[in-house]
Amino acid sequence: MLKVALPLRLHLSLVIVVGAASLQFNAWLCLGIYGAIALFWAGFLRVPLPQLGGLIGTELIFLSFMALPLGWERASFLLVRSLICLITMNSFLLTLPPHSFGIALKSLPVPVPIKANLLLAGQYLEILLDEVTRMQRSAQLRGLNGAVGWLRYTSAAMIGALYLRSLDRAERVYAAMVIRGYNGQLPVDATFRPKERFVLLVAWAIASGLTITSYTI
Amino acid sequence: MHIPDGFLSVPVAGATGLVSAVALVVACGRSQEDLGIRRAPILGLTTAFIFAAQMVNFPVAGGTSGHLLGGTLAAIVLGSPWAGMLCITTVFIIQAVLFADGGITALGANILNAGVIAVWVGWVLTQTLQRLLGGSKGRLPLAAGIAAGVSIVVASVACAIQLVLSGTASAAIVLPAMTGVHILIGIGEGIITGGVLVYLAKARPDLLPGEEQEFKGWLVPVISILLVAGVLSLVASGWPDGLERVAENVGFIDLAEQVRIEVPTPLADYGIEGLGAISTSIAGLVGSAVCFAVAFGIAKVVKPKNA
Repeated sequence: MLKVALPLRLHLSLVIVVGAASLQFNAWLCLGIYGAIALFWAGFLRVPLPQLGGLIGTELIFLSFMALPLGWERASFLLVRSLICLITMNSFLLTLPPHSFGIALKSLPVPVPIKANLLLAGQYLEILLDEVTRMQRSAQLRGLNGAVGWLRYTSAAMIGALYLRSLDRAERVYAAMVIRGYNGQLPVDATFRPKERFVLLVAWAIASGLTITSYTI
Repeated sequence: MHIPDGFLSVPVAGATGLVSAVALVVACGRSQEDLGIRRAPILGLTTAFIFAAQMVNFPVAGGTSGHLLGGTLAAIVLGSPWAGMLCITTVFIIQAVLFADGGITALGANILNAGVIAVWVGWVLTQTLQRLLGGSKGRLPLAAGIAAGVSIVVASVACAIQLVLSGTASAAIVLPAMTGVHILIGIGEGIITGGVLVYLAKARPDLLPGEEQEFKGWLVPVISILLVAGVLSLVASGWPDGLERVAENVGFIDLAEQVRIEVPTPLADYGIEGLGAISTSIAGLVGSAVCFAVAFGIAKVVKPKNA
């Protein structure tokens, strides 16, 4: 198990992404350094490579549709820059322990109402998936075999029914949470210790230096 | 429409981020009621629902695919564009941070396009169309469906303009490409939005807004003008008008070129150089706004004191 705390992992990933995405166009040397950092980060997090490759491959195909009409020179830099960002964020995503993204997101500087909504949305996603499974099972019992067959017959009424069924359960879950003392805050600490703050500061300083250098050379 | 990392320049990413942050601060303040005990589950579930719906892509012509954006649907189900903004913003944060779908540095731009522009265009157009269609609750799905489709196209144009301003792509390439694909995606968005609302109106009518009109009287004419100037101007005929035709036929059209003092006009021929067909739309919107401002100023000046 890695000893880097989840909020710090998220923030270091963000430092690499923001730094690489802000590079001056055609600053290949700086991009190469960010590429090395991103690969080191992926290795450090011990990301499963087959999964990482599959995800990035799919994402790059979609990006290529957008970038290739711009010409090879421009498209190649854009795609490599995006590839570095994708490696970094996907490495974080694929090594994120289950049910813990709320802790990571809690450390982000976003308003409290949005954080509360993030937490609820994360919880209710499980309810939605559960309801989808139930509706699929019901459909199978009525003769629609397989998830693909069910999806083919999905209509606006079924989407609406899914929303209402999930809403009923979500309201019950929320009432139970309120009774148990939920006040819109995740009862988990996501603050940084002094050592982690120092690491983050150093990371920001290196990234800022590297990115600003790309504009001066 | 999710702009990835590295496609926006630093100034554009910063400016769009700032605008989105300000909009969100206002939205957080204006939607306090939606975060209370009674409404919080609806907001949270709608967010989860829109997130899940955005994962289901439907095929669009040319080998590409689209998905529901859900801004209009969220604003209507939640009964507030402010809450709709929070909902879509939350979806985009989850997608960017946890699924690398849409860039971290482009988060501001993505929120501005989908969480602010699409939500507000969808909401205001729905209100306007519903009023034009008679204002009954039964017409809400139709109005919302049309508004949702248009909102996608408007958001895609905003996205294209950001890419042009960043120097990523030329307007001639990105504007027609984005608009063309998103017209098709907008049709899908409109059908899904309208269909879901038809079901909700039958199953849980209490979830949807009532018959009363919550918008002000000036909204309909203003939106109608903007629709004519911004959208219908795109299909206006490019043929010369009557005087130009006569001038061409008789042979005095060249006189127009022989002026001694030329006044620079930024929107000459109802267009902006280098922006293609969309420049007619932008020129129309700018012209309408200027006309409105001038007329408003004149009305203020000449208004009788006892009025």
